Amino acid sequence: MGIKKRKLLGLALMAAMVSPWSLPGPASAEVFELDGMKNLYEGVSFDHDMHIEATGENCTECHHHTAGTAPTDPLCVTCHAKSPEIDNPSCKSCHVKDVFAAENMKKSWDTPLLHHRDKPGLKAAYHQNCLGCHEENGAPTGCTDCHAMTDAGEKFYNTGKYAPEPKTSGHGGGNH
Amino acid sequence: MKSFVAQGLRPVDSLMKPESTTEWTLKEKLLLGLSPGDYLKQLVRNPFNWIFAIIYAIGVPVILGRFYYGLGWATHGSYDYPWGLFLGWGLFCMVPLSASGFMLGTTVELFGRKDFKPIERLGLLNGLLGYLFAVVFLQADLGQPWRLIYPMVVSLGPAAVLFLVAWHVATYLSVQVAELVPAASEMMGWKAPKKFVKSIVLGLTVAGIILSTLHQGALGALFTYAPGKVHPLWYSYSFQWFHFFCSSIFAGLSMLIVVSTLSKGFLKWRCDSNFLDSLDRITLGLAKGASLALITYLIIKLTAIAHDNEWALLFTGWGQWYIFEICLGVLLPLFLYTVAIRNQSAKIARFAALIAVVGILLNRLNTALITFNWQMYQEIPHWREVTITITIYATYILVYRACLCRLPILFTWKADAK
Amino acid sequence: MKKLNRRSFLKGGLASSVAVAAAVGSAKKADAAGDFGGYPDSMGVLVDMTKCIGCRTCEAACNKEQSLPEPDKAFDDMSVFEERRHGGLPRRTTEKAYTVVNKYEVEGREHPLFRKFQCNHCQEPACLTSCFVNAYTKTPEGAVIYDPKVCVGCRTCMIACPFYVPAYTFSSATNPVIKKCIMCYDTRLKFGRPPACVESCPQQVMTFGKRKDLIELAHRNIESHPDKYVDHVYGEHEVGGTSWMYMTAVDAPFEEIGFDVHLGKQPIINYVKDFLAMVPMVLTIWPALFTGFHLLATRKDAKKNDESAS
Repeated sequence: MGIKKRKLLGLALMAAMVSPWSLPGPASAEVFELDGMKNLYEGVSFDHDMHIEATGENCTECHHHTAGTAPTDPLCVTCHAKSPEIDNPSCKSCHVKDVFAAENMKKSWDTPLLHHRDKPGLKAAYHQNCLGCHEENGAPTGCTDCHAMTDAGEKFYNTGKYAPEPKTSGHGGGNH
Repeated sequence: MKSFVAQGLRPVDSLMKPESTTEWTLKEKLLLGLSPGDYLKQLVRNPFNWIFAIIYAIGVPVILGRFYYGLGWATHGSYDYPWGLFLGWGLFCMVPLSASGFMLGTTVELFGRKDFKPIERLGLLNGLLGYLFAVVFLQADLGQPWRLIYPMVVSLGPAAVLFLVAWHVATYLSVQVAELVPAASEMMGWKAPKKFVKSIVLGLTVAGIILSTLHQGALGALFTYAPGKVHPLWYSYSFQWFHFFCSSIFAGLSMLIVVSTLSKGFLKWRCDSNFLDSLDRITLGLAKGASLALITYLIIKLTAIAHDNEWALLFTGWGQWYIFEICLGVLLPLFLYTVAIRNQSAKIARFAALIAVVGILLNRLNTALITFNWQMYQEIPHWREVTITITIYATYILVYRACLCRLPILFTWKADAK
Repeated sequence: MKKLNRRSFLKGGLASSVAVAAAVGSAKKADAAGDFGGYPDSMGVLVDMTKCIGCRTCEAACNKEQSLPEPDKAFDDMSVFEERRHGGLPRRTTEKAYTVVNKYEVEGREHPLFRKFQCNHCQEPACLTSCFVNAYTKTPEGAVIYDPKVCVGCRTCMIACPFYVPAYTFSSATNPVIKKCIMCYDTRLKFGRPPACVESCPQQVMTFGKRKDLIELAHRNIESHPDKYVDHVYGEHEVGGTSWMYMTAVDAPFEEIGFDVHLGKQPIINYVKDFLAMVPMVLTIWPALFTGFHLLATRKDAKKNDESAS
């Protein structure tokens, strides 16, 4: 093949790569490792594809309005009926990890006219958002069903190998 | 002692030995004028002392255990029921019964009723010992009794009612000790202390009235901190302090009648004619005072119910218990005292006094223990708690007896012609 | 009756003044009180019980933060919810547990309601006002803290607390003290951080912020979800207001989940003020009154002395 032909082939290949049919799907077609609580628990392997299927491709179920879909809750719709998709609809882009840190507190409480002052932190957002639906659909709801405890976690909860010896019955002085 | 006196022993009642120019030594005075051998003999012969011996045999190890193992071992004190018998009995029951101190002091020194003088010192002693042992009970109850003086010198919390109780009991104990200094001075042969106290007796008496009014009331006010916990019939945030203060008046007077009766019965050898001959008349006089306090108390109790509109509660189970307490502790003594006064019967008055004392115990135990946490389970004191309470109370009786036998309380000290 | 001359009156007056001085302190604070209403920027915690799942992570966090002893059961052992103490009552705070979560099966409700219970850090705490050694302090940050170094062990605070919070280490013979939640003051609140339980909660049942902001927030949430929440913020007014406030579900009213709804709005100290006001009255009136009685009672003797003198 001549140099001109190779260059043309290269260009064609590059064009093919960026064509709509060969682009990857939405940037979230993977399993996410959520490991914010790694001091107590192992990370959660979050299968996003499975959840897209489970919700019937209704992004609102988990992403509220940030994926460009309109919410159904009448309280939300008043403001967010036509809210567009945002650049990064991941949970952590809105729900901060250390919600009670000084600068985040300041933002929440001192911003005048802020509506969602009590926006949950990241940890709470996951739990509040996931648990309800999980319960309704027989999905895992126990703490260690989604994330196993680390050794530090077992120490924290005084469980597993750190569990206390079962006490024989009887009154502890004063604790009647 | 009775038999010794019958055999001709003259009880110590002056600085000089009878028909002699030698003085009693302190040791002899303490041994009631007996030789050590005889003293022990009469101790052993007395059946009451056998009861005390049994009480101490059981009680002393338990008291030691309380301080070694802590309150959790000795009481059923719990997070829900922090106070038990030590305070319920030792503080809340004994203090109103010891109100005779300020009552008699006021009657004799302030109101000038010298006709009550024969019983004045008994009233003062009753008061002093009652408060002293209330403090002993308190020390048994406090978690850290060695910190007793903290509210006075280390860290003050003046808004608290207990602060007032602490300061007043401490000050009042001093007042009462001072008021009994004349008796001790006579026995010991001191001149100056007696003279000094006599010169400030009016001030002491007024101080005694102020302190007593406030701390008797304050003990009641302690329960105003727990509006939901004490049953509404026993609770009144407006009148609680007055309930306790007013009832302490007839409690002190009735207890004095009871104690004087016991003294007349068991320590007759120690009483002189000045005491014995006037006792019936004095008893009726005390009965008059007690009945006035009783009727006042009854009216204020009913007013408190009206004030908080609690009439409907009288028809509940607790209401029946309340009616029982009023009938036994207020109406019955009031009726009996009135009958006694009308018929000039000291005997009936004494019986009324006993009932009144029981009524006071019932009221205080009801407020502090029985109706406390009425909406919760009932708490029964631990047997160790009961044992310690009995032991400390037995000590109180022993000390009381020891003082009555030695100090010129039931008898007049003979002034020696020098 | 001996003559009431100037010297004896002065001596008597001195004795009475000692009594006055001894108790004058009792009068001071009662006069200065009005309704305190709390420090203006004090922090608080709003507990939304509809969100609590009873995981007990808060109990574990408290245990670790406050270096409490090992618990009797693991913190992920849910059998604690079935424990009952004397009188069939559920768990309460103890010397080993500054906070407990209790489970309430409410009739008509599919799921049980879980309630976290700890010191409510009242605006005008009963424990503080009843303590005669000033062992409690209401910090400007909102926490009610305790100083074990001055505590005598009288346990009046336990009598006074309407929520039955303070626990006492009855088992200790040498240094028994009160144990209760201090809102992690020493380790966190002083530095502006929320208590350990608040931070550890996976559901963010607790919101940390200024008390006055939390009240606003609570009412706004109630207004936005009237079919979800009972229209009452427990602790907003109860016993003068508390720093820890609660919202509950409409089908789990406060009285059915262990809250005392009969506490009223008065701080406990208000029930004591009637007596505290008596104190200065007695101190000032009694001396004159009773000296007057004495003069009245001895007027015959005085008259006799006059007659014999003249």
